[in-house]
Amino acid sequence: MKKPESFFAEQPPQKIEMAPARLHQLTRRDVLLFGAGAVATLAGGGFLLPQETLSRLGVRRNMGSPGKEWLLNKALRIDDDVAEALYSGNRKVPTYTKSQITPLKNNYNGATPDPGYISGWNLTLDGLASGLCISLDIRNLTTRFSMHEQITRLVCVEGWSAIAWWAGLRFDDLLRAYPPISQAKWARVESLVNLDDSGNPEPYYMSLDLATARHPQTLLVTHFNGQPLTVDHGAPLRLLVPVKLGLKNVKAITKITYSAEEPKDYWAERGYSRYDGI
Amino acid sequence: MSHSTSGCNQQNSTGTLPRQQHVLVGKRHHLLVRWSHWLNVPILFGLILSGISIYWAAPVYQHKPNPTTGNFDVAADIGTWICSHVPRSLGPGMLASALRLHWLCAYLFMLNGMLYVGGLVLGGGWQSLLPRRTDVFDAPKMFRYYIGFPFAKLIHRKWLHPRFNTKYNALQRAAYFSVPVAGCLSVATGWAIHKPMQLHWLAAIFGGYNAARVWHFWLLWIYILFVAPHLILVFADGWDTLRSMIVGWSTRVDPPAVIAHDQ
Repeated sequence: MKKPESFFAEQPPQKIEMAPARLHQLTRRDVLLFGAGAVATLAGGGFLLPQETLSRLGVRRNMGSPGKEWLLNKALRIDDDVAEALYSGNRKVPTYTKSQITPLKNNYNGATPDPGYISGWNLTLDGLASGLCISLDIRNLTTRFSMHEQITRLVCVEGWSAIAWWAGLRFDDLLRAYPPISQAKWARVESLVNLDDSGNPEPYYMSLDLATARHPQTLLVTHFNGQPLTVDHGAPLRLLVPVKLGLKNVKAITKITYSAEEPKDYWAERGYSRYDGI
Repeated sequence: MSHSTSGCNQQNSTGTLPRQQHVLVGKRHHLLVRWSHWLNVPILFGLILSGISIYWAAPVYQHKPNPTTGNFDVAADIGTWICSHVPRSLGPGMLASALRLHWLCAYLFMLNGMLYVGGLVLGGGWQSLLPRRTDVFDAPKMFRYYIGFPFAKLIHRKWLHPRFNTKYNALQRAAYFSVPVAGCLSVATGWAIHKPMQLHWLAAIFGGYNAARVWHFWLLWIYILFVAPHLILVFADGWDTLRSMIVGWSTRVDPPAVIAHDQ
């Protein structure tokens, strides 16, 4: 028998003699096992499909179950844990030049709020070490803190993205000026002026881990493309957190609450991930 | 694959071997390779279904909006057709469900890839997949054989299978080598568009975030392009080939080995 010439040379197959009856028996066993596995996979895989798809298939019964939700949510949680492990406070996201700026659409999920709210706007901070509830207007924020500019990419969960030029104060600076309670790990960032499709008030709230809030490129933005924010883009103050998906970049923030427990998240309640690190 | 070997079974069963009628079987696929092969079927199915649904949330290929439907997406023209004809498809407007299914299948796909690599190493099958220099000339011969085979059958003409004494022919090697490569690229582009900030160097390799999305989209078609001839050829080749992926061995052992055994 010829020996293989090199490490990469094909190895001759292992050959054995077998009685035809034995061959038959083994074939039958493995093919039956294979068939059982295939049927189980078909049933299990079908079960995992969203209810909407199942209804389209003509399945009338509600196939939702705690087990199915657990498994699919487990995949989301594992993916969130991977994202959290990948995150580094020292790693900056790529920045771009002004010539690379692309258009950014008004992506309000519902109706765009009426600009009337801007005149009486205040940012409320809660969950502070001082035990107080602080209210800041836009002048407080823009005069007290140094402004930072950055041209970064905003990535939507849907897959589209836009490169935009932002300016604002660092979230980290706000955290230093108004330190949260010592056990705080989370911020709940919300906008009370958010509206649903038909224009009725629908508060938008989002969870943000403080490690991400302290990232040097996490800004509380007041300017977009060199101009003060318009209502479309969340005047007078929006969150810009480029290490997270766009849905975490809350427009027209009205309140930030610090907490030790993970706060609720608008999109996580609608089946999306909670951490959304990219 | 070689059609001449069916004759040697007959030789065995007609009593070339003394006393007990034994068949000679050759190990073809390692257990882990077989498992990962079949597990890929539901996993890739889930990835493609959910992937297309995710694509529809922000289509790349667009045309002028249709005046009556308002549709502007090239793939949605096809997609609307698929949704109305293939009810198992995940349609547009189901992004949250599609993402959850995609992550579940994507992690399983990566684990399954490790099973496959494990099987290739343990079973020593990986060398058989490596393309060779001679494949440049042998692959067109095989292609000619496959294309001509149905016509030769129709006109009852002899159509000789090109000779080779390796586990796979040149065209099979090209296919079975490029599909795992496509798998690695799908995983890499997937991570590039999933974590474009933490892994921005990975996105940069593929030409940036938007380009990596396009790569990821077109890689999907490699699997679809592979599966169609793969299925046709397996069924054309017969039960032994299909069985070898379920049971692991084949009764088709290469002719030189059979001659050595018979002596």
